[in-house]
This record gives sequence, C-alpha cells and structure tokens, in this order.
Amino acid sequence: MYRQLFFARSKLLNININGRSQILCLSSLQSEWSKLATKQLKKIPLDSLNVITHEGIKLKPLYTSEDVKGKEEIPGAYPYTRGPYPTMYAQRPWTIRQYAGFSTVEESNRFYRANLAAGQQGLSVAFDLATHRGYDSDNERVSGDVGMAGVAIDTVEDMKQLFDSIPLANISVSMTMNGAVLPVLAMYVVVAEEQGAKQDQLTGTIQNDILKEFMVRNTYIYPPEPSMRIIADIFRYTSKHMPHFNSISISGYHMQEAGATAALELAYTIADGLEYCRTGIKAGLNIDDFAPRLSFFWGIGMDFYMEIAKLRAARRLWANLMKEYFSPKKAQSMMLRCHCQTSGWSLTAQDPYNNIIRTTLEALSAVFGGTQSLHTNSFDEALALPSVQSARIARNTQIILQEETGIPKVIDPWAGSYMMESLTDEIYSKARELINEVEQMGGMAKAIIAGVPKLKIEECAAKRQAMIDDGKETIVGVNKYKLEKEEVIQVLQIDNQQVRQQQIEKIKKVKQQRNQSKVDQCLENLREIARDTSASGNLFQASIEASRARCTLGEISQALEDVFSRHLADSRFVSGAYRKAFNQGKNNDELQQVIDRVEKFAKIDGRRPRILVAKIGQDGHDRGAKVIASAFSDLGFDVDIGPLFATPSEVALQAIDADVHIVGISTLGAGHKTLVPELIKKLNELGRRDIVVTVGGVIPPQDHQQLYDQGVKLIFGPGTRIPEAAMQILDHIEKTFTSTNKSK
Amino acid sequence: MFAQRFTSIVSRRYVSTVVDLYKGLINGDRGCLAKCITLVESTHKEKQQNAKELLSQVLQELKQRQQKQSNKPISFRIGLSGSPGAGKSTFINVFGRFLIQQGHKVAVLTVDPSSSTSGGSILGDKTRMLDLSRESDAYIRTSPSAGTLGGVTRTTNDAIVLCEAAGYNVILVETVGVGQSEFAVVDMVDMFCVLLPPGSGDELQGMKKGIMELVDLVIVTKADGELMPEVRRLQTEWLSALRLMRRRSPNWKPKVISVSARTNTGIDKSWEQMFEFENAMIKSGEFMTKRSNQLQKWMWNNVKDRILEQFLADDDIQKAIQSYEQRVIRGLITPFVAADAILALFAKVKTDKTT
Repeated sequence: MYRQLFFARSKLLNININGRSQILCLSSLQSEWSKLATKQLKKIPLDSLNVITHEGIKLKPLYTSEDVKGKEEIPGAYPYTRGPYPTMYAQRPWTIRQYAGFSTVEESNRFYRANLAAGQQGLSVAFDLATHRGYDSDNERVSGDVGMAGVAIDTVEDMKQLFDSIPLANISVSMTMNGAVLPVLAMYVVVAEEQGAKQDQLTGTIQNDILKEFMVRNTYIYPPEPSMRIIADIFRYTSKHMPHFNSISISGYHMQEAGATAALELAYTIADGLEYCRTGIKAGLNIDDFAPRLSFFWGIGMDFYMEIAKLRAARRLWANLMKEYFSPKKAQSMMLRCHCQTSGWSLTAQDPYNNIIRTTLEALSAVFGGTQSLHTNSFDEALALPSVQSARIARNTQIILQEETGIPKVIDPWAGSYMMESLTDEIYSKARELINEVEQMGGMAKAIIAGVPKLKIEECAAKRQAMIDDGKETIVGVNKYKLEKEEVIQVLQIDNQQVRQQQIEKIKKVKQQRNQSKVDQCLENLREIARDTSASGNLFQASIEASRARCTLGEISQALEDVFSRHLADSRFVSGAYRKAFNQGKNNDELQQVIDRVEKFAKIDGRRPRILVAKIGQDGHDRGAKVIASAFSDLGFDVDIGPLFATPSEVALQAIDADVHIVGISTLGAGHKTLVPELIKKLNELGRRDIVVTVGGVIPPQDHQQLYDQGVKLIFGPGTRIPEAAMQILDHIEKTFTSTNKSK
Repeated sequence: MFAQRFTSIVSRRYVSTVVDLYKGLINGDRGCLAKCITLVESTHKEKQQNAKELLSQVLQELKQRQQKQSNKPISFRIGLSGSPGAGKSTFINVFGRFLIQQGHKVAVLTVDPSSSTSGGSILGDKTRMLDLSRESDAYIRTSPSAGTLGGVTRTTNDAIVLCEAAGYNVILVETVGVGQSEFAVVDMVDMFCVLLPPGSGDELQGMKKGIMELVDLVIVTKADGELMPEVRRLQTEWLSALRLMRRRSPNWKPKVISVSARTNTGIDKSWEQMFEFENAMIKSGEFMTKRSNQLQKWMWNNVKDRILEQFLADDDIQKAIQSYEQRVIRGLITPFVAADAILALFAKVKTDKTT
C-alpha cells in the first residue's frame, strides 16, 4: 500500500522533472515554431494540439531533431530496431500467410490448394473450438462448435486429408494451436512422416503460447503448471529433431484484441517470451538451442504511427533483454522475427466495406514495421467467416502492396523520422517499465496466477468502449457517418450439424480399424509420463506414438486430463472503469437516463434488473462479455456471470437459479444457430419463457430473422453502443415484468 | 399496440401467487425456490407483504416436519467466512460435492458487494464453484449486498428457511470479509467457520480476538506444496490462541484444521469436525436453544430494519436530517441535541399518521 503510494508519487515527480527539463532545453527551432504556431492558433493554447494516446504517450504536433536521442542503426545488426535481416523486403517481400480453415478437412484442403495456386506462400490453419479445447467432435459439450470457427480434427486421418496433395516437406505450415498442442502437432508430424518427409525438413510454426491463453484467449485445457511442462517437452523435442520448425509463436495479437494498448501488448508479450526462455532453460536446454526458433505474433490496429513504432521497439526490446538476461552466443537468439495480423476488433459490422480500407491501412503499418509475414482480414469477418470473394480481396491487398506500390524497395523507410524515432523510444520505455513490474512479481507465470495482467487489459477494454460510446473516438459507420440502411452482404454459411455428423462417422471408422490394445497402451503410457513429476519422459514424443496408433485427439487430451485435470480460470472483474471513462466521468444525460430508468425499474419491480451475461460453447473470447458485465453493473444492473464453455442447459439452469430478468449471450464462435435455440428451449421446458434472451457478438444478418423467430428478443452486433443496448433491454423487461404489476 | 397487450397477457401467466410459489417450493422446484428468494429480497411493498405470508407458511411447515422426526433439526446451517482470496469458493466447490456424495442436498448462499456509486453489482460466484453448480443436488444463489438497511442480514435468514423448505438439508452461508457481517451471520447459523489462507497471519492480528470469540472451527486453506510450513505455523498459532480464550459453549472446544481443495485433502476431516459439532450440540440440547434464541434475534433485526426503513422513508424527516447534519458538521449544535430533535419529529410524524 505505502509502496504503491510512494511509487505513484515518484512517478508524478518524474513527470514534473521531465516537463521542466523539456522547457529549459527547447531548441531555437522549437521555440521559433512555438511562436509561429501560437500566432496562427490565435486564442487556442498550443498545448491543446498534443494528444495523449491510449498508452499514455504524448503525441506532439511537431517533432524536431531535438526529440531524437538514439544512435543511428542499420538493419540486420544488434539491436535490430530496423529489421532482423540486412536486406529485408528489398531482397524478398514478406510472406503472405492467410489464416483459414472451416468445416471439414476436405473443404479446407480445397481452399488451401486454391489459395496456394493464387499466390499465397504459406499455410495458416485455423482449427475449430472443439479441437482447441481437446474434445472429439462426438463429445456432447461441443455440439455447436464443430467445424464452425475452423476445421475439425479428430484423428490422424483428418490431418492427412487436410494436407492432401500439399507436400509438407516444402510448404511451411503455421498452426494456431495452444490447448491441444500435443495431439495436433503430433498428428502433423505423423502425416508428414506418412507423406515421406523427414522431421528435419519441416518448416512452419505452432502457436503453442499458453500464457496468453490464461491471460486473454481462454482456449487452455490444463492448469498453468502442467501446461508449461508441455511447452518444455515440445522445446526439447523440436530443438533436437525439428530444427527448422518454430516451436512457439509468442502472441500479442490476442491481447490487443482483448483490449490491450500497444504498450501493454508489447510488454506482456515480451514478458511471456522471457518466461518461455526460462522454461526452456529449466528443461535443460541451452538458450541458443531454442531461442532462434522463438517467433512473435502481433496485432496491428488503426493507430498508424504507434503500430510501426511498436514493431521497431519490439525488436530492440527483445534484443536488449535477451542479452541482459541470458547472454546468448548466437545472434539469432536475440533477433525478433514476427508474424502480424490486422486487427479483427477494428472491423465493423456496420457499413462493412469500410473494413477493406481499415485492413489496407493496418497492413501498411505492419509492412512499414518490418513484419516477416502477414495476414490481412477479410472485410466481412465482423459478420461471419470469410467468403471466397472477401478472402480474395484480403489476399490481393497484400499482393498490391508488394507488387504495385514500390513500398518494399526501401528498408525501414520511417527510420530517421524525428517522430518515428521518438515514438519508438517512448513506447520502448513504457513497455520496459511494464515488463519490470511483471518481473518484480516473479515473472509472467506468477503474474498471471495473481491475475494482474488480465485485469489491466480488461480495464483498458472497458475504458475504450466508454470512449467510443461517448463519441470521443470516431469509428466511421458506427458512432459517426452512420448509414440509414445497412446493405445485406452475402456471407459464408456452414451447416454445423452436417459437419459434425460426418466427423462422428469418421471417428467410428478409425476406431473400428485400429488396434485397440495398442491404443490403450499408448494412452496409459501418456498418463504415466504425465504422472512422473521428474519429467524424464517426453509428452510430445509419447503423443506422436499415440497418434501413429490412431488415438483420437480427444483420447490423448483426456488421458492427460486424467492426470493434470481441466483448468478453469478464476474470473475477476473490473468495475467502475466504464462509468469513469464515459465522457471523462462528467455528468452525462444519456448515461443518467439509463441509470434513472434502472432506478425506476427497481422501484416498480422491487429489485434491480438482473442480467446473466453468459458465453455458450467453446469460444473463450470474453472481451465482449466482460465489457458488457462491467458496463452494465456500472449502469446499476445486478450482473450474474456465467462460466466459460457452458452448455445451453447449464446456462438455462443458472438463469433460473438466479431468477434473472435477462440472459445476454455473447458469441463470436459462430455457434449461435444451434446453441441459442437450445437455450430457449431449455428455458421453456423449465417454465421460464418470460426470461428475456438477447444475443450479442458476430452474428450474420442472414441469421437474425431465424433467431427472432426462435424467441430471441434483441440482437446486438459489434459496435453497439452500450447505453443504447441497455435502453432497449430495459424496454423489454419493463414490458415483460412490470406491466403485470400495473395491471394489479 | 397489439403486441404490447399481448405481452402483458402472456406474462400474466407467469405471475406466481403465493399459493403457487409455496406449493412449488415444498415440492423442491428449483425455479420456485429461486422466485421465492427473489420475493423475500424484494423492496416492493406489496411483494414484501406476500413474502411475509409465504414465510409464515414456510415456518409452519418446517415446524411440522421437525415434529415428525421427533424434534430433531431437519437441517444444518454452516457459516463460512474469510477475507477475499481465502479460498472460500474453492473450498465450497469441493466440499459441497463431497456432501452430495454423502447423500446430502446442499444449498449455498453467497453475497457479492453492490457498488456504492451505481448500486449495481457483479455476481461472479458461480464461475468459482463450477463443478458444484453442475450438480443437481446443489442450489447456489448469489445475492447483491444492495448496501442499505443491512438487507443481507434480513433476507439471508429468510433465504435459509426457504432452502430448507425446498428440501436442502445442509445450508452453507458464505460471507465476505471479516468484520461486521460475521457478527450478523453468527446469529443465523448453527456453526460458524472461518477460512484462513496461509500468509494471512499478520493482517488478521487485529480482528483475531473478535473472531475467536465466535468461531467454532478454523479452516486453514491451501494446505499443499510450498505453503505447508506456513500452514503449520498458522495452525499452531491459532490453536494456542484459542486455548487461552473463554469458550463460547461448554459443549464444544473450537478446533483448527487444514485443507487443500487442490489435492482434495482434509475435506473429509472438515465434515467430520462439523458432524461431531452438530452431534455434541444436539445431544446437549444447545442446538435447539440456540435456534430459539436466533428466532428472537431475527425478530429484533426485523424491528430495527423496519424502524429505520420507516424513518428514512418520510420526506419531512429526510429534510430535517439534511439540515441537522449540516448544523452538526458546522458545530452549531451537538450531535445529541440534533438526534433528540430528529427523533422528536419522528414521534410526531408517527402520531400524525396514526390519528
């Protein structure tokens, strides 16, 4: 407590000192400009042109050589601010790597092959949520998730079809997999082997970044400790047998999507990286054995300059910290290579063609920042999974940047810009401060268990939402320049039940044909190795053997779950952040109206409106749910929180037990078409047809009518302003719950 | 227009009369239990009247059930208290399932704080007791503290008997923080347990005495791995401290045990201790005497709550309070004189209303 106060005070002092020293050493050019600008501005103070970014960095209207402190650098040399390689895109442009996968392996395979033919250079596989969470498609818990947000994989046979006619010895494959990393990577290795490829020929990346799952994305399976052991085992195996394969992709992307500012994303990702290095060393590896195979993954949002500066600062930060902490011998151990993806959160469901422009600008940031590979989002992704057309536009965005603009011809073109160099320095120090905080807590694994990073990110998300809702931040088509009428856009539709049925058939077939005693033996072997706390066996090696014997993904995951247990994070919530940030906490009519109406409702009904905010299915992205929960409680609602990964009947039961007025379902995993109707059915069965069901998240407009017909009262797409949503909800519950009182 | 009328007709179907609710409740219908708890928590005048009606019937029914089994208590009410992060929910999650395996039906009542600025709340307890919440023989209800008038105290007591009427025979009442709410909960439960996490020794020094006078069982949580030495230290410290205390009951000596929800150790021991306590109390007759005394306290709490409620509901008094407060703050009159004046006004308002 005292320490915190002291810290805050010394921070304040620092700012004062900096402010003063800046005034003292204003150069003659700076002061000359100040005079000119002040005259031009007439009565407006010059300071009002400064902008404080989300990161808390002061962005000035003018930078001069005074702002640049660092030494000049070249690309391909420590600390790599200007790029990991000396020639960068001048020699070879970045890899166009589009993340894709949906429904069945056959469909996805066709899609990959067509993309490769159309100029894509590497594959990036999206798995469905059932696979992510280690469930086979025939598991009851995942009935709505199979094949929806990615492709379903249950056995080696599925993986084989996924890469049919795609030679894994030559094509680099990136796989977004964290929770069920053991069976998925193992099946990939077995398929390559059966294709005739050698393990040391394999190139590509596995995401394998479990720390950020605990922080933001929530697609973990086991508790933190055994999860870190799995990573260590993969490091040990790949460093020996798969030297060209990136054994981890340390991801900031999901933090940004969850609401982190650029500085938080940068800091926590690098801190994750340091933790993984310690994990490798603890597993008996030399830092140079595996550090060159660590890669990074950033999200690129709309803050154009900041994102470029972030990538530059990231490389410098990593190089400096690696040198300080681990003194590696190889230069590659300090060299940060990265993949980038344009922000999915910045896409809007409203006037979605604007998303093409957003994605283009974000792609430009990533390229100016010197990324090694890039995914550009499709413009319809705020509505549904990308269609063939939208995927083409997304890919062509990159091809045009590479082949029409001439941009790749010059390496790190922003270097030497007073602004860019200064901004790079600033975000570097901001992030470094945050990393020090984490390190003082004993590293990221400990910080995550204490729950600090998650709360910090969620607080940023709630504040950001308030800034958008009160119009301080513009989002075209959402809170400004809105369309009178939205155009309906054709989106991809997946028949999830059919996909699931097919998968179930395939599992049956594999199970009939395999040698069951061999299977049992492999699974028991996995359990044994998991139980052995000295970790002398290797879980990854055992998973490869199990995959060869045709154990399913669900069986391998379950065997480990038997020993490790299935983890459920303790969820904590921020409160007050939304209300404080809305209109900077000043009294505001709109907010006040909602609050008054809540009070009025409470008087009439005898209690506050009570809402259950729930997630159904295996989709763990809970930014939306958290922001809603936090904001609604700030508006005076009593908010019940549903656990992640619930089934429709579990949600129904919770709604009834807590006797809520409203159930608000948040869904991004495309499972709404089966799961929401099931929930309504359950509520009806239990005699509570009166509970108002609303749905929020990514829901294609084509599905709206069907959902309304099934009894959903309100649907909120991405970009809905919270006070408006609250008002509409109040309309409904007033009608349903208080009209009966009046009639008495 | 039509739609609006239609909704009100539809929803009237769901209006539950006290008779319906009562029927559902004693048949163990969860939805009815939930609605009954909502009813007793209501601040709406008419609903409060209904709640009283319902509660009278429920108490009558419970009394009869108790007589049927030769006046043995039909439920065991256990208060579980501890600072935030003490591991209460984690303990209840595992402990509750243990009880269900033993054939009990378990109700868990918890309270989450309401914000003092917005009045709203975030009720996240269920996410922390996930496994238990999936059991069909468990009912978990989290209520917002709602700040004013000690609402928790009054309605928690009501909720306990409602759960019993619905057939739950072990009632776990979780309270957050160590302080005021503990003293209230002690008057509602048969046994009062405090959960302590390792590492909490020093912060608790100040409150230790207050707790020690009330506690029947101290449960040191997170007793696994690296924390074991600290757990043992805490255990001996409390044991010796409790030994020096004057005992609250002649029939029970407070105990200290340690548990780990993670490794599932000590859970059975906790129940053993509680079971032993219950037996000792029933045998000595203290169990029922305590419950009778609690009814008396319950009455008094109602009296206090309702007087305060009436007091604050009057506009004239509200105005008077504001002006007197200002004068007290500025030192123009003493607090006692101001209190006398306000109370005199209250008496006058009361007589005006009755005449």
